[in-house]
Amino acid sequence: MIELDHVSKRYDGLIAVDNVSLTIDDGELFVLIGPSGSGKSTILRMINRLMPHSSGTIRIGGSDITQLDIASLRRRMGYVIQSIGLFPHWTIERNVGAVPEMLGWDRARIAARVTELLTLLRLDPATVRRKYPHQLSGGQQQRVGVARALAADPEVLLMDEPFGALDPVARDALQIEIAQIQRASRKTIVFVTHDMEEALRLGSRIAILERGRLVQCASPLELLRAPANDFVRGFVGQDERGIRLLSVVPVTERLRPGDDASGEPIAATASLRQALSRMIERGADRLSVADDSGARVGTIHLADLVRQA
Amino acid sequence: MIRNRVLFVLVLTGIAAAFFLAFLTHAPNRLLTGSAIPLSQVAHGRLALGLAVALPLLLAPFPPQRPWVHVVVIAAAGLLQIELVALAGSHAADLAAIGRPAERTSLGGAFWILILCAALAIGDAQRRLGRPFLERVLMPIAVAGIVAFLAARGLLDQLSLARELATRRDAFLAAAIRHVVIVAAALLPTLVIGVPLGILAQRHLKLRNRIFPFLNIVQTIPSIALFGLLIGPLSALAALSPGLAALGISGIGLAPAILALVLYSLLPIVRNTVAGLDTVPAAIRDAGSGLGMTPRQLFWRVELPLALPVFLAGLRITTVQAIGLAAVAALIGAGGLGAIVFQGLFANAQDLVLLGTLPLIALALLADALLRLITQAATRTEA
Repeated sequence: MIELDHVSKRYDGLIAVDNVSLTIDDGELFVLIGPSGSGKSTILRMINRLMPHSSGTIRIGGSDITQLDIASLRRRMGYVIQSIGLFPHWTIERNVGAVPEMLGWDRARIAARVTELLTLLRLDPATVRRKYPHQLSGGQQQRVGVARALAADPEVLLMDEPFGALDPVARDALQIEIAQIQRASRKTIVFVTHDMEEALRLGSRIAILERGRLVQCASPLELLRAPANDFVRGFVGQDERGIRLLSVVPVTERLRPGDDASGEPIAATASLRQALSRMIERGADRLSVADDSGARVGTIHLADLVRQA
Repeated sequence: MIRNRVLFVLVLTGIAAAFFLAFLTHAPNRLLTGSAIPLSQVAHGRLALGLAVALPLLLAPFPPQRPWVHVVVIAAAGLLQIELVALAGSHAADLAAIGRPAERTSLGGAFWILILCAALAIGDAQRRLGRPFLERVLMPIAVAGIVAFLAARGLLDQLSLARELATRRDAFLAAAIRHVVIVAAALLPTLVIGVPLGILAQRHLKLRNRIFPFLNIVQTIPSIALFGLLIGPLSALAALSPGLAALGISGIGLAPAILALVLYSLLPIVRNTVAGLDTVPAAIRDAGSGLGMTPRQLFWRVELPLALPVFLAGLRITTVQAIGLAAVAALIGAGGLGAIVFQGLFANAQDLVLLGTLPLIALALLADALLRLITQAATRTEA
């Protein structure tokens, strides 16, 4: 659990973070979002003490971070940044093994861990491990960046606009990857972004910041249903709000029993937005829904999509 | 159609020099200006060999520039250099056989220009071939080796340059060694002071803003003036403390020479240390610290290796510069190859000047090549 207790950051007479209190639970993917200058990155960098906070208390697992050894604190947290920051003079193997090496793991254990992580991030360990960062594409480099952050199995993953510099295809793929990794490992992830689409897609909770102040902290659904003020309303996108609402609700939420639709069924994990898209595509007003095993579990109707959420 | 303009210009220059300048000069003694001997007179009777070497070079600018053309140019230009040296040596020997002992045969303008054009042609062809640096030094080494072999066989003994050397072989060797010692003795303290200073300056903007103006000003003082300026304070220091004097501190000689060289060398070393560390992207430092590297680990594992290429380039420049500046230090009694150059200048003996200058150039080229190789070895992982 990460707790921020009345935390502020001032520099040069400027208040970058203004009296923010937050609790990030274990196993949650917590998104910090806001326009540039809102203090979202500053909060992230205060958690691993890349920036000292000016006042307030930050606790991790109950202990005040200022009381912990700075290097071992950081080694407990994976860190992924937008510009990736792989060490250009090291092979991918050495990059991924950087933290384990500092922790004094033996060579065989590091090699095994590198293989495991590259596989997890869908990179071919046999070919990729001996390459240098500049030999990989941007998307592949950030996969290595994520693998490096996960290497020593940290309790927390801090991600600072990790996919902001990637092309849409690579970004989309990595979003899916990180969501899967998070679901499988139940790691606590603190994720900074300025992209609302990304926040709604990934976040279990989203904190919206404006000029250093916390404006609203809520689940994606709450955020869309009940924006705290005009700033949040504008930020979640007034015109898009209805569509975005559909995108955070799974079809199982509006399922009708029985299977009275024809054609290819839609997956139970799909969102209402995907269902709507499929209906428009087919010119149908209902779709049958199937679970992972392919068994039909019900039907989704167009009328149910437009029902007030 | 001219397909290699560089080579074409070099060929034209070479032809012009061969026709209009003296290949050798022949004088009654070592101090007088001699009469010119053109290449045509020297090459008389060895025309076939000469043409065999020169013809490929004359034709090479015109066909499409395939790799094999460059290889031919490199081989022909190298052979041309050897042939020119051999021609000069044998003609000097012929003249010595019939002349009086005091007579001197010196190398003329045409010789030097042709050697230089051939060297440039080799360099140009190698650049066009794009082979690694290690292979590029092979031809110069081969030429130097064969010339050394000719000299060892006594075939060049009658050239004025060789005769100057013969009369002071021991002094020449001692001067060359002394020169290397001066440069090394200056570079070591420069590195010991300059590298930490550069690291500190890179981290602290205030320090950076203070030391660079100082080092820049030092760099603008002419070397002779700096050597002169140091005589006063250092002799005063030696007079104050006999202990220092016993250590060799005095107004003239080695101490002021080394001190001045250190002052000159500090700027490029500090600047390139700073510049090297500046090349490390902020994101990479950020990632390193974020992963939990201590400042020490970050420096040794990340910053230092990434800064190394720029730093080594600075060391190369500094070393070559120090080799040249150390020659001037001979004026304040530091010795070295500069002493031979100045002896020649004051005695108006051109060949003595050359005897000091040629090894200076060789030393600078050698240091440059060596440090380039080290730089390449140190940065190979980044290829």
